[in-house]
Amino acid sequence: MLQFIIQGRGGQGAQLAGKLMADMFFQEGKHVLVYATYGGARRGTPVSSSLRVDDKPIRMRCDIEHPDTIVCFDPSLLEGGTLLKGATPQTIVLINSSLPAEAFSHLGDFKAVTVDAKSIAQKHQLGRIVNTTLVGAALGLIGYANVKLLEKVVGETSPVKSENNVAACMEGYRLVSEGRF
Amino acid sequence: MKTDSNRLLLSGNHAVSHAVRLVKPNVMPVYPITPQTPILELITEFHAAGEMTGEIMTMESEHSAMAAAITASLTGVRVFTATASQGLLLMHEMLHYAAGARAPIVMFNVNRTLGSPWGFWPDQTDSLAQRDTGWIQYYCENGQESHDTTLQAFRVAEQILLPAMVIHEAFYVSHSMEAVEIATQEQVDAYLPEFNPPHRLDPQIGESWGNTVSQVMFQNHRRDMGDAMERVLDVAKKADQELQDLVGRGYGIHEQYRCEGAEFIITTMGSMTGTARDAVDELRAEGVPVGLLKIKLFRPFPVADVREILSGIAKVMVLDRNFAPGTGGILYQELKAALYGLKGAPEIHGYLAGVGGTNISPVNIKDMVHSAIGEKPVAHSVWKG
Repeated sequence: MLQFIIQGRGGQGAQLAGKLMADMFFQEGKHVLVYATYGGARRGTPVSSSLRVDDKPIRMRCDIEHPDTIVCFDPSLLEGGTLLKGATPQTIVLINSSLPAEAFSHLGDFKAVTVDAKSIAQKHQLGRIVNTTLVGAALGLIGYANVKLLEKVVGETSPVKSENNVAACMEGYRLVSEGRF
Repeated sequence: MKTDSNRLLLSGNHAVSHAVRLVKPNVMPVYPITPQTPILELITEFHAAGEMTGEIMTMESEHSAMAAAITASLTGVRVFTATASQGLLLMHEMLHYAAGARAPIVMFNVNRTLGSPWGFWPDQTDSLAQRDTGWIQYYCENGQESHDTTLQAFRVAEQILLPAMVIHEAFYVSHSMEAVEIATQEQVDAYLPEFNPPHRLDPQIGESWGNTVSQVMFQNHRRDMGDAMERVLDVAKKADQELQDLVGRGYGIHEQYRCEGAEFIITTMGSMTGTARDAVDELRAEGVPVGLLKIKLFRPFPVADVREILSGIAKVMVLDRNFAPGTGGILYQELKAALYGLKGAPEIHGYLAGVGGTNISPVNIKDMVHSAIGEKPVAHSVWKG
C-alpha cells in the first residue's frame, strides 16, 4: 500500500491535489481511499489530504500513521504541527521551498526534498497555485511512470489554465526525476 | 471522473446523492450543515441539470425541514432529506412526530460530534441519541454501502410506514473518495415499487383524521408502531436480498466476519467495522480465534439474531464511537440488554474507542483484544483510544 499525506493551508489546493492523485490511480485500476480533514472551512487554516493506494480494497478508516510520502505546501506547517509525527528515515518529505533540503534537516530524520513550486507556478502564470507542481514532484519522487495519464488527469481536473497546470506539473515531475533538486 | 462503467470515484456523501437521484423523491425539504451539505449540493446540481424533477424546498431550519417532510409525506409522496449533528438534534421533536404519523420519510444523517465543545469529527452520539424516536436506523461502513442502503431504506420505510434514517460518519466515510458502483435506473425501477399509500391527505379523498386521542387509542397506536418495527427485521432482510439479486451486493442486517470457530468476537458499527476487519485478519494470522459482528440495522435491534450468534462465545468486545454520560457506550448497553438471561452468554468488555473522532487503527484494536483476553470484564464502559 502507498500512503501519502498532503498538507497545505486552506485555499492552496492541498485537498484537490489529493483528489487528483486519487483519480489518477483510480483510472489505472488501483483501489484508492482519499479523505480531507480540516478544522473549519476557512482560508489559512491547515488542510490535510490523506491518500491510500493499494491493489486490494482498502477497508481501514483511520489516520495514516506512517506515510511513505509527505507533501508540505507551506514550510511554516512543519514546525509545531503534527505533520512530521509519523515520518521515519524512509519517509520522503517534499517541501515547497526555495531553500536547500539541508535547511530542514534539524526537524528530524527523514528524506527531505525541496522544490521551489512557488517560482515554477509563477513562471507558468499560475500565481500561488502550487498544487499541480507539487503533485508532479511527488509522483516523480516515488518513480511513478505513467506520464501520459498524469498529463491527462491534471488537464481534466484543472478548473482553469489547463495547459499551464500540465506544464507546471511536468516541470515538477522532471525536476525531481532528473535529480536536479 | 466518469469511467466506462457505473463505477465512479465518489465521496460517501455523493454516493448517497446518486442513490437519491435514482429513487426520484417527489419532495426534498433541506437545510445545509457540515458535513452533510455535499449530499444536498449534488442533488441540487442533478436537479438543475434536469436529471431530477422532484421539488427541492430550502427551509429556514432543520426543524422546519422535518415539519415539511412530514406534511409532504402524508400527502402520499416520496420524501427525502439529510442532516447531521446539531441539525438532527433540532429535528428531535419532529422525529417523534414523523414516526407517530407513520410518515415513511428517508433521511440521511452524517455523524458528527455534538456541541459543546464545537467540532466536526466523526462520532455516532447524534443519531444514537434518536434511538427512541421510532425511526428505523441503518449504520454504514463505506460509500458503497451508503449508496445501496439508501435504496433499501426507501423500500423498507414505504412498505412498513415508518421513517428510516441511514447513517455514516463524518470524514472517514462522508468525505472519503473511493470507487463506488452506482446502480442503474433500470435496476432501481425494478427494485423500488411506486409509493402508493392506502391513506393520504388529498382533497379528492374524503377522510377524517383525528389527532387528539384517548389514552387507550394512544397506547394502541404505540403498540402498532412496535409491531411495525418488529416486522422491519424480516422486511429489511428481504429488501437486502432482493437488491443483492439485482446488483450483486448485499450486507444483511448484520454481518459475521470470520466468526467460524471464533471464541472472541468484536462488535461494532459503521466505519470502525472496516478497521476491525484488518485487525481480525492480522489476529487470525497470529492464531487468535477472533471474529467480528457488524451491527448494520440498529433500530429495530436484531435481538434474537444477536442472541443466537453470540451464544457460546467466551468473550465479546464492543467498540463504541459514541458516549452517553452516565451509562457509557450505547451499543454496549444495547448488547448487554439483548443478551440478558441467555444461557452460555459471553463476558462483555465495553470499550469507548474513537469518541470525538479520535483515531483508532487496526493496531489499537489488536491491543484492545489482547488486553481483553487477559482481563475480567467490568460492568461499565472503559475509555480506550
